[in-house]
Amino acid sequence: MLEYSEPVTKLIDEFKRLPGIGQKSAQRLAFHVMRMAEADVERFSNAMMEVKRRIVFCDVCNNLTDVNPCRFCSNPGRDHSMICIVEEPFNLVSVEKTRSYKGVYHVLHGSLSPIRGISPDDLKLANLLPRLKPENNNDTEVKEIILATNPNTEGEATASYIARLLKPLSVKVTRIAMGMPVGSDLEYVDEVTMDKALSNRHEI
Amino acid sequence: MLLKNLETYNWRNINGIAVWNPDLNLIYGENGQGKTNWLEAIYLLATTKSFRTQRLQEGVKYDNHTAFVRGTVSRNQNIHRELQVTLQGAVKTLTVNGKRETTAAYLGQLHAYAFTANELDTIRGTPEARRKFLDRGVASLHQSYVHTLADYNRVVKQKNRLLQEKFTDPNDISKIKQQIEIWNFQLVKLGTEIHHARVEYVEKLNEKLRRDLFGAETYAIRYVSSLGGKGDLADYERLFATRLEVRLQAEMQAGYSLIGTHRDDLEITFDNRSLRIYGSSGQHRSALILLDLAAIDVYYEWHQEYPLFVMDDVDAELDARRLSLLLQQLEGRTQTFITTSDEDLRHRFTGRATAYKIVAGCIEL
Ligand SMILES: [Zn+2]
Repeated sequence: MLEYSEPVTKLIDEFKRLPGIGQKSAQRLAFHVMRMAEADVERFSNAMMEVKRRIVFCDVCNNLTDVNPCRFCSNPGRDHSMICIVEEPFNLVSVEKTRSYKGVYHVLHGSLSPIRGISPDDLKLANLLPRLKPENNNDTEVKEIILATNPNTEGEATASYIARLLKPLSVKVTRIAMGMPVGSDLEYVDEVTMDKALSNRHEI
Repeated sequence: MLLKNLETYNWRNINGIAVWNPDLNLIYGENGQGKTNWLEAIYLLATTKSFRTQRLQEGVKYDNHTAFVRGTVSRNQNIHRELQVTLQGAVKTLTVNGKRETTAAYLGQLHAYAFTANELDTIRGTPEARRKFLDRGVASLHQSYVHTLADYNRVVKQKNRLLQEKFTDPNDISKIKQQIEIWNFQLVKLGTEIHHARVEYVEKLNEKLRRDLFGAETYAIRYVSSLGGKGDLADYERLFATRLEVRLQAEMQAGYSLIGTHRDDLEITFDNRSLRIYGSSGQHRSALILLDLAAIDVYYEWHQEYPLFVMDDVDAELDARRLSLLLQQLEGRTQTFITTSDEDLRHRFTGRATAYKIVAGCIEL
């Protein structure tokens, strides 16, 4: 026998499909939905449908967007000679928040991980190489590709895979530096970060 | 460092507060009364782990209840900190002076070396147990080594998954090879760090090893790289990279990683003979004592303070002579905690030791 009536069980099951949501959270969310005003529930479900209907992958950079090409790719004010490669759209947002990067992006939607069954074919890489031809890139030659994948083993593997892929081409490839967060007190920097910062030190 | 006192609540069958002797603490009592539980509580406070179980919730007396161990640690005369490990179901909370801390921040506060029956695996167990001994030692000096090791193991796991794939199409084979090379690239970087860290640690141990403390025989240790004899170990990075290239085919055949620091070993000998094969169980214990003493000295040289030393069930583990020699060596160095069912032991160390009689989990005064 079901613990809850069928519609409730269905909703709980759907919540449980979401990442990071277990049985307890799913129950709490489901009961919250039941207490919500009907208009609010409608607005919520419409928002989900709309995101699904209107958000697509940018044909050029794979970013999630409501216009295609996305606002970065179609913006003539951005520096199209520089491409920053990130794993996920939210990594793009982090780079963008710095306000110091004016180039364009390429979103992979994942990182290499054999144990999770993610091979190079599963990354959105197929449309990267064509971008390096000026005729496909607003007549701009790509001068630098910045690998901004995560500083973990999967991100490193992804970065070196792409670096090898690009090696035959005469484009400069850089990897973001791992080190100390700027503006932070040395006192609050953890030992791993400090260790990396020390081994990546440079002469001044 | 000194553990001044320890309070336990709902941890196994023990409850109460103990005030410890800065030198030697003898915890004695009949079997089943809870001596080892007290020692385990000290170890738990220092390492956030148990030397008896992987599942800490087993130690919580009543299901769904909270258990804690709490103790005051003094680093010198003026610095005292209250550490606490709280267990609630499977959730472990660590606090220093009442404030929650991450595991990394907490672990720097109190350090303990343990001599337990399990530790004898270091001598007579598989190479993995000896690598663990070395890795624990390196990590006690460089905390960030823990992450290097974790990354290395993760890379091996990723690579093994690729090696398990079976292909017949030559096109697919070359694709897989290309991906394996990507992981090998990281393996070389991380493995080289691990190799150098372990070699350096073994050098330090060798400097401190009191080879003939037990008189009869001379003990020696040597780090044995699985790449030994395959080329120039001094340029490990290059050697490792070359060997990975040469052995790629063999690794694909085997279906798992054949070379790397996860295949290395620590060779322990007495009078130039393999201790694991030819040593008596007494000699095994002598060697473990020597290794622990050396590790303690290396720790001291680096941190300028001594860790705690805990030893479970000395009667079973050590004869009278070895125990005396060990305790003599530890005097003036570590704060030491040992459990025994031999009540007479305290008479042999009067003046130096405080004895705690455990009855039904409690300290009898
Ligand atoms: Zn785009």
